[in-house]
Amino acid sequence: MVQLSQENIDRVQKIIARYPEGRQKSALLPVLHVAQEQFGWLSVETMDYVASLLSIEPIEVYEVASFYSMYNLKPVGKYMFEVCQTGPCMLNGSDDIIAYIGAKLNIKPGQTTEDGMFTLKTVECLGACGYAPMMQLGKFYKEHLTKEKVDAIIDECRAKNN
Amino acid sequence: MKWSFLAKPEGVPRHLVVNADESEPGTFKDRYLMEFLPHLLIEGVIVSSYALGSNVSFIYIRGEYAWIVDILEQAIQEARNNGFLGKNILGSGFDCDVHVQRGAGAYICGEETALLESLEGKRGNPRIKPPFPAVKGVWDRPTVVNNVESIAAVVPIINEGAEEYAKIGVGKSTGTKLISACGNINKPGVYEIDMTISVEEFIYSDEWCGGISNGKRLKACIPGGSSVPILPTNLLLKTAKGEQRIMNYESLSDGGFQTGSMMGSGGFIVFDEDQCVVKHTYTLARFYRHESCGQCSPCREGTGWMEKLLLRLENGQGKMSDIDLLWDIQSKIEGNTICPLGDAAAWPVAAAIRHFRDEFEWHITHPEEAIIRNFGLAHYADEREAVLA
Repeated sequence: MVQLSQENIDRVQKIIARYPEGRQKSALLPVLHVAQEQFGWLSVETMDYVASLLSIEPIEVYEVASFYSMYNLKPVGKYMFEVCQTGPCMLNGSDDIIAYIGAKLNIKPGQTTEDGMFTLKTVECLGACGYAPMMQLGKFYKEHLTKEKVDAIIDECRAKNN
Repeated sequence: MKWSFLAKPEGVPRHLVVNADESEPGTFKDRYLMEFLPHLLIEGVIVSSYALGSNVSFIYIRGEYAWIVDILEQAIQEARNNGFLGKNILGSGFDCDVHVQRGAGAYICGEETALLESLEGKRGNPRIKPPFPAVKGVWDRPTVVNNVESIAAVVPIINEGAEEYAKIGVGKSTGTKLISACGNINKPGVYEIDMTISVEEFIYSDEWCGGISNGKRLKACIPGGSSVPILPTNLLLKTAKGEQRIMNYESLSDGGFQTGSMMGSGGFIVFDEDQCVVKHTYTLARFYRHESCGQCSPCREGTGWMEKLLLRLENGQGKMSDIDLLWDIQSKIEGNTICPLGDAAAWPVAAAIRHFRDEFEWHITHPEEAIIRNFGLAHYADEREAVLA
């Protein structure tokens, strides 16, 4: 049975209160973010649960969750490296960074390491073109990436988990 | 200007929505404003909400800027604590609250009607206009959608007076403009310019971009975000008439799409001599295919075809007729879609062919070299095999 924590239920109530009466569907994107924060990804069960929270039909949640690229409809690793590959990052060597991470973790873009620690994902422009090449890791951006910096980031993630 | 269209029916609430869904490749100025000057934006929102009569305003920010949401919410809380937000602000009798709404990764939500759909908890499919948001916006209420830079500029305009503000700049390009400079330059970053300096000065002066990185030569530049036409050095620094090109709206668009470009979003992407225009155009085509909402067939299908053709050319597997086919596809997307994403996807492809046709041809006549030059055979040998198979 999927259930948000009490803290997150309170957050959801606060979010719904921003919108006019009967427009609680507007809370869908923020509430999906809250759910994904807690569960790591959005299963059908989770989406059905979100639908019940907002008194909308499950299909209204599915169609939104599948439209926006930030929602994970499959389980992902504990640390997801979302590396930008669009033009300006490409000009600054993002291809090499993606290849390097892939070789180091022995995964291809879209895959997760066997221990469930890392997922490598290529993404389109994250709005950090002046600080390229870059990637998103959780809530924050890691910018001006080099191979050494990638090594350090991976080590840091592993250390946090030991 | 946009504000004057706002409908004001009795008893219907109005809303101000700030478009902070910045995602045009090459552009990162709004992020800078929100990250480092959040109070300026919040002040702009409060003043604008007062002018428009919006009691509940929203800042719709792209989902990836997750940490900036916290920065903005903290600034909003500070404003609330000091009586600049909430009920009866500073005894004016005006109530106002501001909320930050996070998107979830969709470039299309930067289009104002798609943004409103997203704010209502739906897919970001642009609406057919009319009705315009000023008449029927979020929840069918009159809505003004402005971007971060415009709302932040309200503050100096009110403080200094509109006339003083308009004295900055030249011609119709009044005020200042934020430029996000990136690509192969020594000093990438966000610069505020008064729109009187030349493009050459902007690129080479140490005050701005600081020249091309690693001492290389300038090959080309996309001066206003990924969707505007790319220009080769000769047309970038001087117009077709031989006049020096200036960093402002009129000068950058001088010559139309044949020999000019646009100021657009101010995303200034610089290419050094070693960069491949075909490859860069391919990444943009892939971007627009990824971000197309899929409502209109020309854009949904066309962006995918362009991506495939460009990848084939880039991999040295193209045919001469592919270039004409590519031209044909882009011309059939332009102007045939509900929202401007179709145009934005078509223009970079058109401009790349217009100015760099020889480079496209080179990829066809030198397939082996194209692969080695752009990929490095050693790294990508497997991938190439897959393409050839």
